[in-house]
Amino acid sequence: MERPTSPDDDPRNKGRTGSLGIADLSISEKSASLKSGANLSQTTDSPSKSLCSSSSTSTENINSQDVFMMKSLRDVPKTGTDPPLLHGEKIQETAKDVTYLCPYTGGTRGTLSVTNFKLYFRSVDRDLPLTLDVPLGVISRVEKVGGATSRGENSYGIVAVCRDMRNLRFAHKQENHSRRQLFEKLTQLAFPISNKMTLFAYDFTENYNDNGWKVFDSISEFRRQGVPNDSWRVSKINEKYEFCETYPSMVAVPTASTDEDLRQCANFRSRNRLPVLSWIHPESQATITRCSQPLVGVAGKRNKEDEKYVQMIMDANAQAHKLYIMDARPSLNAVANKAKGGGYESEDAYQNAEVVFLDIHNIHVMRESLRKLKDVCFPTIDDAHWLSNIEATHWLEHIKLVLAGALRVADKVESNKTSVLVHCSDGWDRTAQLSGLAMLMLDPFYRTIRGFEVLIEKEWLSFGHKFAQRVGHGEDKHSDADRSPIFLQFIDCVWQMTKQFPNAFEFNEHLLITILDHLYSCLFGTFLCNSEKERFHKEKLKDKTVSLWSFINSQLDEYTNPLYASHIHQHVLFPVASLRRIELWTGYYLRWNPRMRPQEPVHLRNKQLLALKQQLQKKIEDLQRQVELKTSKATRLGTARVASPINV
Amino acid sequence: MEFSELIKTSRIENVTLCQPFKKSLVGILCVSGHHIMILQEEHEGNQFILLHSAVDSVEKKLSGSRGTLLLKCKNFCIIQLEIPGTEELQNVAESIEKLSNIDNLSLSYPFYHRPRFEVMEDGWQAFLLETEVTRMIGSASDDWRLSNVNKNYTICASYPPTVIVPKSVDDEVLCQSAEFRQHNRFPVLSYYHKHSGNVIMRSSQPMTGPNGKRCRADEQLLNSSLGKSGRGFIIDTRQVSHAKNAQARGGGVEPDVNYSMWKRIHQPIERRQYLHESLIKLIEACIDPSMNSDKWLSRLESSNWLANVKDVLTCACFVAQCVDKDNYSILVHGSEGLDSTLQVTSLSQMILDHDCRTVRGFEALIEREWLQMGHPFQSRCAKSAFAFTKQKFEAPVFLLFLDCVWQIWQQFPCSFEFNEDFLLMLSEHAYSSPYGTFLCNNEQERQKFKLSSRTTSLWSA
Repeated sequence: MERPTSPDDDPRNKGRTGSLGIADLSISEKSASLKSGANLSQTTDSPSKSLCSSSSTSTENINSQDVFMMKSLRDVPKTGTDPPLLHGEKIQETAKDVTYLCPYTGGTRGTLSVTNFKLYFRSVDRDLPLTLDVPLGVISRVEKVGGATSRGENSYGIVAVCRDMRNLRFAHKQENHSRRQLFEKLTQLAFPISNKMTLFAYDFTENYNDNGWKVFDSISEFRRQGVPNDSWRVSKINEKYEFCETYPSMVAVPTASTDEDLRQCANFRSRNRLPVLSWIHPESQATITRCSQPLVGVAGKRNKEDEKYVQMIMDANAQAHKLYIMDARPSLNAVANKAKGGGYESEDAYQNAEVVFLDIHNIHVMRESLRKLKDVCFPTIDDAHWLSNIEATHWLEHIKLVLAGALRVADKVESNKTSVLVHCSDGWDRTAQLSGLAMLMLDPFYRTIRGFEVLIEKEWLSFGHKFAQRVGHGEDKHSDADRSPIFLQFIDCVWQMTKQFPNAFEFNEHLLITILDHLYSCLFGTFLCNSEKERFHKEKLKDKTVSLWSFINSQLDEYTNPLYASHIHQHVLFPVASLRRIELWTGYYLRWNPRMRPQEPVHLRNKQLLALKQQLQKKIEDLQRQVELKTSKATRLGTARVASPINV
Repeated sequence: MEFSELIKTSRIENVTLCQPFKKSLVGILCVSGHHIMILQEEHEGNQFILLHSAVDSVEKKLSGSRGTLLLKCKNFCIIQLEIPGTEELQNVAESIEKLSNIDNLSLSYPFYHRPRFEVMEDGWQAFLLETEVTRMIGSASDDWRLSNVNKNYTICASYPPTVIVPKSVDDEVLCQSAEFRQHNRFPVLSYYHKHSGNVIMRSSQPMTGPNGKRCRADEQLLNSSLGKSGRGFIIDTRQVSHAKNAQARGGGVEPDVNYSMWKRIHQPIERRQYLHESLIKLIEACIDPSMNSDKWLSRLESSNWLANVKDVLTCACFVAQCVDKDNYSILVHGSEGLDSTLQVTSLSQMILDHDCRTVRGFEALIEREWLQMGHPFQSRCAKSAFAFTKQKFEAPVFLLFLDCVWQIWQQFPCSFEFNEDFLLMLSEHAYSSPYGTFLCNNEQERQKFKLSSRTTSLWSA
């Protein structure tokens, strides 16, 4: 979200001649400090015709491919330090003479502005101005640092703790409470919900030529999967969200079940989240279904209707006489849940079902792990113990467990043609991770850009992953125990898959990062609220806000992977879920560190490749049309004429 | 010696071959003078051939009348052969053990190998120093000349006959300087940077000794090699303490007083034995069968391999920066100038010069920096990570260099003509190859064995 004032100011875009300046040698996952550092790449025009590297003095400015490539929709700033504004955005507070304490390039003086959408800083004391452009939604906490009498330079100021792996520290002049107004404005605007105001998404009025709200429609997605069919029907039981308020309005259930069966069964499931269809195999009819935990309790209660209903799911697949129930939790946690009235299916009660525990930990463990990861990654990296520090966060181990779990689901469905029922406790966190990833492995449609949007809309948004709670949009309760990086973890797993199958995905890393940035930005309505009911029934977000997919689909070239080869990847992907293959996603977690950024403009290269690919494709089509034209002419002329070699 | 003496059992039926990530293969095991083969009579396409020289260590496991033979290869692959009959197993194990450790170079496979392709360009003649010099310096400078002072290898055994030296220095000075350097490896030109006119030189340590000897010819040679900037850095790839110890044993460093135009800097790179141990630890961590080992990263870290990679890269970057940006010439040496010195000089060229990042340019770089300058491939690559008979001379110096290249390639994916497979191929051939390129320890030996007429060069392939 930091970008150079103009692409021409960025030395990286100038002639790439000169020697390979290895500003930082990150050795596989390790960053190596070099004395040579950034200076290496200063000279850009050296006749040795070799390629030059990136890091410039204004290392804080990320290159122009970054999140807000929205030049067209920005008003031109009136003066140098005014922030460029979006439609509906207004400046609320401006503070001059503020120092931004960049952890990498040191302090720089400039103007700090707060709008109803973002925090904007622009330096005045550098040749190549440093700009910071941070949506307020990214900020999870604002604090004062030091007091009016604190000693030392830059000891008095504000720190903004961000959700995207960084903190921003500003220093103010110590006279006249110079930070007070800005601090008050910032705490008010960054947490609109806590201050009884609305999120910026409601004020954002940009028009895109694609309506992202139309990307997903459950009926057409069911139809794409071939539902309804002999064994599955679409039920309108939840049309008004009265049956289960965290479920989508349309659900697919076994044809054999009546709506009364559904009611009976839902009684036995936590928050009425009964088993419904996520995905069906186009050939074998094996399915992935999802639900919440059964309300077994300490007494070990049973529910005949639920057992019968699970049997119906098994029977809907003629290929197997067995069903796997994949419980995402560690078995200990599943047992402990009995005390709270929950639990898991006993194999005695559910004939022909095998219960498997996938050992994925809960939201609190994941939050703690990411907190540790942030400590290790930001602001500075301890080179000597980098790898063992990463290991100690257990973040990669959690990623591995989620991927391994999804892999087991996909493997049972594909290789054993057996249906799988997935659940955890409530069925909106780990369950969404598992079903989403398994579907990504099984169905090439979800590996296209539109397909991936559908996958997120379907498995995450419509099935009630509590985005508002997990992210804490616009709320100042930064230590809220409901917050957790579950969706980030899912995107990380997707990234791991794109690393292992670089030709199998239509989208690139930039799409994943953009999605994560707008998970926090509150610019689009997509990730607001906790359920479909809140989103469309109560808040009418489709009318009041813009969808993230509108923005993305109107500039697809930015997110397209030129190496995507759809024809050779129409099969199932089984990634290797081993710690030796799982890597730290440096492009996301370490992107603020200038030493960890790409050394070469790979994104530009990819765009060139993409353009070339499109050009060649067009040529093929042209030539094919010509051939067709000639053949049709030849047939019209009759067979008497000797065929020219072209027509053969 | 005849190979047949070493082969007691040359043919066993019904042997099962298991390779990682491949289907097992059942067939006839044949042991020949240079190869281990598994053949299937029904399917001719299904066969497996391995050079004895690719085997690093042999292990046997017996159970009843059957047994398993583990062949641990120098490329870190482990191949499993299930052999019926314990006597056969013993015989085969013994044969492979002996055949993979033959000392007599003339018996090695490159001398028997006849390539099936037609040689378009003889690799032995592809990178002659004369043409390389024209390419590197051309008309940019008139200050350098080719000297044949080492004709017949009389001055320095591990140097090529022809070297590049400053024009203003005559052969007599070179001879005197050679006397002053360990194993007579006097300073010669490694790279001329056209843009700045600065140079990278390489040598072995000076024999300063405890009494602080000096050699005016050596000083003259070095000072004449300085470019227009008139200043240089001496990069010592040893730790200060190492250099001090060496001084007590007759070696040492260039004293500042005698080399006033040069500044000396220590950029330590790990020595041979430590590299070897580090590689053993790395490979142990990599092949540990407990796939769910959650200690992978800390084991990787504690092998220190990546730290070694970092050290070499740091040093090479420093050199490149001095030459390109800070306008210094460079002399690199460690002790003998056979290992870390070559890593640094070749990597810094790779950083500075886009030509080295092409396939041909990289081959030229290996030829010029590693083969001609006498990196002892024969002794360094005789054994790899699985051989526990620790000999003093083995070390994955070249492998570490290739790893460094891979790291740079990772960071600059658009700047290289070659890909990962090329680097893998080179590492395989350095350890075991049907071609003669990486045989012997230096040019003199290569000439003695007449490699260029009796074997084929890898560069021809």
